Amino acid sequence: MINLDGVGKRYPTGVVALQDISLRIDCGEFVFLVGPTGSGKSTVLKLIQRIERPTAGRVEVDGLDLCSLPDSQVPLLRRRLGVVFQEFKLLSDRSVADNVAFALRVTETDPVEIAPRVLWALETVGMAHRADDLPARLSGGEQQRVCLARAIVTRPRVVLADEPTGNLDPQAAWEIMQLLGAVNLRGTTVLVTTHNNTLVDILRRRVVELHAGRVMRDESRGLYQTAR
Amino acid sequence: MAAAATTTIAIALMVAGGGILASVNLAHLASVLEAQVEIVGFLRRDLTVQQQQRVLASAKDLPGVLSAELVGRAEALKRLQKTYGSLASVGSHLKTNPLPDSIEVRAGGAGQVRGVAAALEQIAGVEEVLYGTPVVDRLVALTRAVRIAGAAVAGALFAAALLIVLNTIRLTIAARRQEIEIMTLVGATPGFIRGPYVLEGVLQGAAAALAATVILVAVYAHLAVQIAGSLPFLPVLPARAALPGALAVVWFLGIAVGMAGSEIGMRRYLRA
Repeated sequence: MINLDGVGKRYPTGVVALQDISLRIDCGEFVFLVGPTGSGKSTVLKLIQRIERPTAGRVEVDGLDLCSLPDSQVPLLRRRLGVVFQEFKLLSDRSVADNVAFALRVTETDPVEIAPRVLWALETVGMAHRADDLPARLSGGEQQRVCLARAIVTRPRVVLADEPTGNLDPQAAWEIMQLLGAVNLRGTTVLVTTHNNTLVDILRRRVVELHAGRVMRDESRGLYQTAR
Repeated sequence: MAAAATTTIAIALMVAGGGILASVNLAHLASVLEAQVEIVGFLRRDLTVQQQQRVLASAKDLPGVLSAELVGRAEALKRLQKTYGSLASVGSHLKTNPLPDSIEVRAGGAGQVRGVAAALEQIAGVEEVLYGTPVVDRLVALTRAVRIAGAAVAGALFAAALLIVLNTIRLTIAARRQEIEIMTLVGATPGFIRGPYVLEGVLQGAAAALAATVILVAVYAHLAVQIAGSLPFLPVLPARAALPGALAVVWFLGIAVGMAGSEIGMRRYLRA
């Protein structure tokens, strides 16, 4: 599903974010991407979304070679991805339902399909009862659930979550991670960057650890940190 | 933010529209003055009436001539007496009329006066040609200056309006940065994202043009009446002659800057 082959990324400022990374994530996998700040986790997510291009190697997502993908095809790539942000990025002047529907409207989904799909996504994350509320009336955990609903409402092949629990209390963080697990159980590939060692250690999923732009560890049922 | 952008465009358009109206009126003044420049060709005294008519016909055929008319010496004396009241009784003191017969010629424009005068002088039977050389030269220079200055002022105002609008629309778009960012990340196409903003820019430009139209029409009508009352010698174009062209430019400018501002303002957010 996601294949990084000998990928390097040097930003125009000269900062080297990734060096010769090779990583293969199969369809339906749940992967934690861990590592200290600046290790290159966010850059990996940006490469997968084609927000950035690699300066070396190849990136392939769902059969698309992102290095040769024309700019006009980038929106079609992104429709196959759902993204969850640490800071939620909900539109403050729109209701919960409108925030979720936004992802469908702007991708020109048939208007007849929008209401039932929004309802399905909100029910999946347990937020259907708050559909008419504005984001400001929700707790952090609830806002992240809405953000997850917006990510899955387009029925993506992959969900990318960039520090989804970074702004949440332990209970809300646990609930979000459970929801991401549920999304994965339906066959969606999930890639999560996190610093939350407790959750990684409890869930025992595949863990890829980056350090200074290199893959230091790739374990199928890993812990946040191995005993060194 | 949208109201601020519309107001800014409206003010820029009013200034640009005012500049255009001033420019067309100055051009009109110059053309009125141009039309008043007259060339006089004095005829030899020994010409018969038929010969004078032939000279008149030749003068009318010259390129650049708008009209030509024969002025007999008696008519010339009458005009002299009328123009200078103190000479009203001069006719009774003179045994014969000393003035020559002449041909009065009007050229199509100030720029053509010199050529027409030279050609008139070449016609057999014409003894001497007079025209207001310094006046003509100044008029030619003034007309050219007014046209160049008008174009320069309009160009500078256009550039200023575009800059103001660009920055205001950039602020509007920056305020919706998150919305645009989410759109691009969920897979909206650039055309889909750009569409509403460009439409909004066009509507803002049109709304500003409407506001500028209302104010320009009201102010121009008022000023035209005021000037006609207090400075009757200044030829002011009537509203129906001056406004349509200026307003067409104002509307074109408003819609164009609204559209261009949105288009350019969006660009940095739509890089894939």
